[in-house]
Amino acid sequence: MKYLPSVHYAIHRRNGQKSKVRAGFTAALLFILLAAAPAGAWDAPQWHGFIEQDYGGLLGRDSLTKHQSYNLLEQRLQLKTRYAIPGDNVLNRWNGVLTYKGDFVVDEYFETTGSYEVRELNFAFSPVSILDIKLGRQILTWGTGDYLFINDLFPKDYISFYIGRDDEYLKKPSDALRLSLYPKVANIDFVLIPHFTPNTLPDGDRVSFFDSFQGGITGRDTQRNAVKPAWQAENFEYALRIYRTFGSSEGAFYYYRGFNPSPRSYLDEANQQLFYERLDVYGASLRGPFLGGIANLETGYYRSRQDASGDNRLIENSAFKWLAGYEKDLGNDLKLGLQYQYEQKLNYDDYASALLPQDYFWDKHRHLLTQRVTKLFKNQTVMLGIFNFWSPSDRDGYLRASCAYDISDQWKLTVGLNIPWGEDDTTDFGMMKKNKNAFIRVRYSF
Amino acid sequence: MIKRMIFLLIFILAGNLEAFALTVDEVVAKANNRSYYQGQDGSAKASMVITDAQGRTRQRQLTILKLNIKEGGDQKYFVYFHKPNDVKGMSYIVWKHIGKDDDRWLYLPAMDLVRRIAASDKRSSFAGTTFLYEDISGRAIDLDKHDLIAGEQDFYVVKNTPQDAAAVEFSYYTVKIDKNNFLPVKAEYYDKSGKLYRIIEALEVRDIQGYPTVTKMKASDLNSKANTVTEFSEIKYDIGLKDEIFTERSLRNPPSQWTKE
Repeated sequence: MKYLPSVHYAIHRRNGQKSKVRAGFTAALLFILLAAAPAGAWDAPQWHGFIEQDYGGLLGRDSLTKHQSYNLLEQRLQLKTRYAIPGDNVLNRWNGVLTYKGDFVVDEYFETTGSYEVRELNFAFSPVSILDIKLGRQILTWGTGDYLFINDLFPKDYISFYIGRDDEYLKKPSDALRLSLYPKVANIDFVLIPHFTPNTLPDGDRVSFFDSFQGGITGRDTQRNAVKPAWQAENFEYALRIYRTFGSSEGAFYYYRGFNPSPRSYLDEANQQLFYERLDVYGASLRGPFLGGIANLETGYYRSRQDASGDNRLIENSAFKWLAGYEKDLGNDLKLGLQYQYEQKLNYDDYASALLPQDYFWDKHRHLLTQRVTKLFKNQTVMLGIFNFWSPSDRDGYLRASCAYDISDQWKLTVGLNIPWGEDDTTDFGMMKKNKNAFIRVRYSF
Repeated sequence: MIKRMIFLLIFILAGNLEAFALTVDEVVAKANNRSYYQGQDGSAKASMVITDAQGRTRQRQLTILKLNIKEGGDQKYFVYFHKPNDVKGMSYIVWKHIGKDDDRWLYLPAMDLVRRIAASDKRSSFAGTTFLYEDISGRAIDLDKHDLIAGEQDFYVVKNTPQDAAAVEFSYYTVKIDKNNFLPVKAEYYDKSGKLYRIIEALEVRDIQGYPTVTKMKASDLNSKANTVTEFSEIKYDIGLKDEIFTERSLRNPPSQWTKE
């Protein structure tokens, strides 16, 4: 072990059990609310949701993962409700709203009998007119990118993204307290996340990836594991956004203090352990009408707090990221979106000179372009969407294509393709090259 | 007393004279204000039923809040979807501008995502119905040249020819306007070959707080043989909506006073 970070970590095992503590936290919220409500004042909440069957077959075989011919086979039942607190009480006067959304999933890929995922369980209220509070499990999103996130460090599920689940599942919930303040000059969002949630990334069981310990694209043979920060006050995460409109344009400043949600640093090479290094992000964005479309600019300075000088080969360096995007409506329900993202590692010379001869290493620059084309047909009941990532510097890319048909208000059929590719096995998309899939989803909404 | 009666007489005469002397542009401006700018603000629930050529139906249910910034000019809209169930909770905000593109934001609650929508094409379908965005929020009147054509006793009939023919799919459209209350009751759109292909008609008009209001309307697409019938309910004018309603805050946290079911 070359480096011992100055924080305490709890070992988080790959495929480990979900935190029981976290489930308790959100469940407690529900009980508090139920206890606080006067008996008899409750109308039955309305329940909505969907049932869905998903299948994603691999284009080609992947002998490294659990199944060689497919990477998605599951049934899903989602139930959700949004309940405004009735009656003559303080929660009603504060416009209290309880939101719940949960998925019951039978994931046949792992032959589980079924699991329950609570995606949202929160209570929102406004104790004073300029303040909204949301407490509990919630989805958090901000920033201006389209599938590109600079100042949105909230957790994401990239396995769902690659295997063809609905876009909804790219975002993972956070157990958080969100305070939204609306004074005259600017709007302020402050988020406190007491318990760190990492990104869900390819880990070899379902989706193969590049494992630097194995020296190549790896599946179930990986021994790699990532160590999560322990649940304690000094590991709380904070996110801040200050934003306002200027005429038709919007500007925002962002600040984030927490951990990189993707484990990009080595804790213990001998034991093949990675960790989520401490990270501060300072950012800004601008979005508004431009040349008949919408343009956006966003930037972020990533400060790697455990390797600020950049000379530790095991810990991710600080970086700058820039993003420019443009979307235009070409008429006839045809839309085009273009983005360019540039990332630069800072103190790169210090990092490079610290590297050992056998090390895999990060590049200094990364250029990434994206193109989105969306076209609606048949009175907007058919949507054809193409989203393409292409990195000239990494010489890799990822094509996502889908066609969704709203058969009726209840039934929806979606088919699509996920085509990651790359010249090298080590790059973000290149490492995913064995996971090309074609998927189908059938959903009944109620 | 006599003085007062003379005043009244002059007032009535002047009013009548004005009605006789209205130019076509004044008629169009009055009709536009009647259709889109009544009251300082307003709210309504809209229930839309889309029927396709095979008779299959789809439903949309939404809450619409509206605030006039300037009569005949800029407006702000907040739209919240109740149905269909797969988009329930989705909402969007439009800041309508005259002479430049509207600003539109769409909120997808499942991802807590506020998207800025590039929306220069106002002649695209509104939420998959046979109504177009322009039918819902109004078409800027100076985009067309207006001519009064042979009308009927109780109606003005105005022919509207686009200033920029290449920007729209029609060659012209006619609008029948009720002389009593200046409400448009029927619009007929003709394609580039001169064939009637699209009809919007008022099916029911009611007096709401003194404002004559279309409470049921139908948009028929004669080419696809699909139509949409929209019924408005719980219509209220002058409810004191504030500018702050029409901001990102309402997307994430819809104003429950107006959106509850």
